[in-house]
Amino acid sequence: MVNARFFDGKTAAAQAVELFLDGSNLLLRNTDLELRWPLHEVNISERLGNTPRLLTFAGGGHCEVTDHAALGDLLAQLGTRHSWLDGMHHSLAWALLAAGLIVLSLLAAYRYLLPWGAEVIAMRLPASVLQKMGSSTLDTLDKFMLQPSKLDAARQREITAAFARLQAPSAAQLRYHIVFRSSPEMGANAFALPDGTIVMLDELVALTQDDNEIVAVLAHERGHVEQRHAMRMVLQSSAVGLVLAWYVGDVSGLLATAPAIIMQAKYSRDMEREADEYAERTMRANGLSPCLLASILDKLEASHLAKTDAKQPAPDAASKREVMDYLSSHPATQEREKLLCPAK
Amino acid sequence: MQMQQQQEHAFEFTGSGWEYFKIWIVNLLLSILTLGIYSAWAKVRRLQYFYRNTRLADASFDYHGMPKAILKGRIIAFVMLMVYSGAMKLSPALGITIALMIAVVMPWLIVRSLRFKLYNSSYRGLRFSFAGSDGGAYTVFLLFPILTALTLYLLMPFTHQRIKQYQHCNSQFGDTFFNFDAPVKSFYGVYLKVLGMGLGLGFLAGLFSAVGLTFLLLLLPVVFLFVMAYMAVSLPNLIWNSTTLGEHTIQSKLEVGPYLWISFTNLLGIVLTLGLYIPFATVRMLRYKLEHMSLMAQGDLNEFVAGQEQAISATGEETAEMFDVDISL
Repeated sequence: MVNARFFDGKTAAAQAVELFLDGSNLLLRNTDLELRWPLHEVNISERLGNTPRLLTFAGGGHCEVTDHAALGDLLAQLGTRHSWLDGMHHSLAWALLAAGLIVLSLLAAYRYLLPWGAEVIAMRLPASVLQKMGSSTLDTLDKFMLQPSKLDAARQREITAAFARLQAPSAAQLRYHIVFRSSPEMGANAFALPDGTIVMLDELVALTQDDNEIVAVLAHERGHVEQRHAMRMVLQSSAVGLVLAWYVGDVSGLLATAPAIIMQAKYSRDMEREADEYAERTMRANGLSPCLLASILDKLEASHLAKTDAKQPAPDAASKREVMDYLSSHPATQEREKLLCPAK
Repeated sequence: MQMQQQQEHAFEFTGSGWEYFKIWIVNLLLSILTLGIYSAWAKVRRLQYFYRNTRLADASFDYHGMPKAILKGRIIAFVMLMVYSGAMKLSPALGITIALMIAVVMPWLIVRSLRFKLYNSSYRGLRFSFAGSDGGAYTVFLLFPILTALTLYLLMPFTHQRIKQYQHCNSQFGDTFFNFDAPVKSFYGVYLKVLGMGLGLGFLAGLFSAVGLTFLLLLLPVVFLFVMAYMAVSLPNLIWNSTTLGEHTIQSKLEVGPYLWISFTNLLGIVLTLGLYIPFATVRMLRYKLEHMSLMAQGDLNEFVAGQEQAISATGEETAEMFDVDISL
């Protein structure tokens, strides 16, 4: 026998009733009411925490049962078993296992699904999209960070021609061109935009003794473009940003963006390695030594460290270097140089 | 006819954080593993857990939404979101065009969403329902917000009042209508107090800034949280205290202090546990809100009678949810 409250579905009135099992029927009874339903016309709601369970009858009306033990006994007589989902929702072991599996599946999605998805999409984007992204990025950079180059036109032509002579190891997918800029704050640097524009800074040109070192950097940047690295980065960080913003919800937009950028750094390391490999193949295909890229990398690092050290008091610089290396988007330079130029 | 006795029935919430945690985490896992498809089933379980734990006058509420109908709505919402963000990336002009198109269908979606939500809610075996017209929705959810923006938000309290009026006056329990009678000036009252507090506390902060910038940076978030809490408490109080169901009235007695404490400790808990505290936080806040509400019954609650029922697609509700136009109820 189970105590329940019966509602007929027509009015809000509650009636205290008793439920019995009567063969293949469910019997509902109180002093002035006696109703009977075949069991297959009764929908018994699953357990949900400690909430009242509902027995809904075909043709309207339902019972609310708060006596879980009594209803459990009645259902046991029927041989009804909890569904597997019901079991999962009410066990602490499953809750802990679920927490573990959630972390695992998120890590797996981040490590494998995200880069794969970004690559698939990036490789299929039409050239017009890349063009648009490239030119708008260059406009923004020109406005806020870059200044016109001070190199004379003849020197610019020389470098452009050297790059033009460089043969790609496989057929190029995009049209490349070099733009010259200067930026004292960024220091010696060069970077590629999604549309094939390579920005070469005066500071980097000044650092080189051999023009083939510049060619090596250009080959490396070209590797980034050929493999759509910039586009993939944008896609990945916007996906991560979207998920974090949804997860963090209304806590704060700021919280959502910082980790996205830090986490993305790991991918950039893989991408740097890919671009190095591309540059290495290009250099070999043109009869040039990959050691040229290693040597310019060495100089670049020295120049950037000198710049940091100049700003920081000496003891602090060392610790800063370690932190920077851990978070930095460039893999440890020595590691890269060893890969490019094992003989050195 | 005899004078009927007024009786206060307090809302009760019987759920617990641990119990909800177990449901929440399994829901989350299955939603991830099915790439979001299970989230529709998860939503039904979540709402059933909350509704069935909400008790009033010794009976609980129930939720009847069909997962498949919710899934259909989620797919449509997802597609709309993708189209919008894709268009925004390609060209802002195209993105804005799509956003405008979404704004135009939004009131229509809100009506469907309200119908779905109310129709699928029940208490004592009787369904709620929503009878608002599309025309009314376009007035309060599109025309008034545009006017509000054009008048530099001077009309915001007015618009808010009209939205609540539209929502509550068109809601029914069984065949009994809700009514809403808060005057526009009471909304202006709350908004002006919030503005005054913001300005006053901002001015105080300005004075303190002489003490030091660090002090100011510590003070400002506190001030901000306090003003937000005041607003989050006063508006529901005003809205529910002005809402009646037939001859029964509703009372909401939220207070700034406890509300602020709960939201602050919830936020802290969620950040410190990387989100694992979310179900506990949800239960705490819901319990506080519900247990400070009551129904002042004028006579017998048994006398409500069922109204006409109608089948409603879930599309409206889900699309509206994903775009977060769900106005605080």
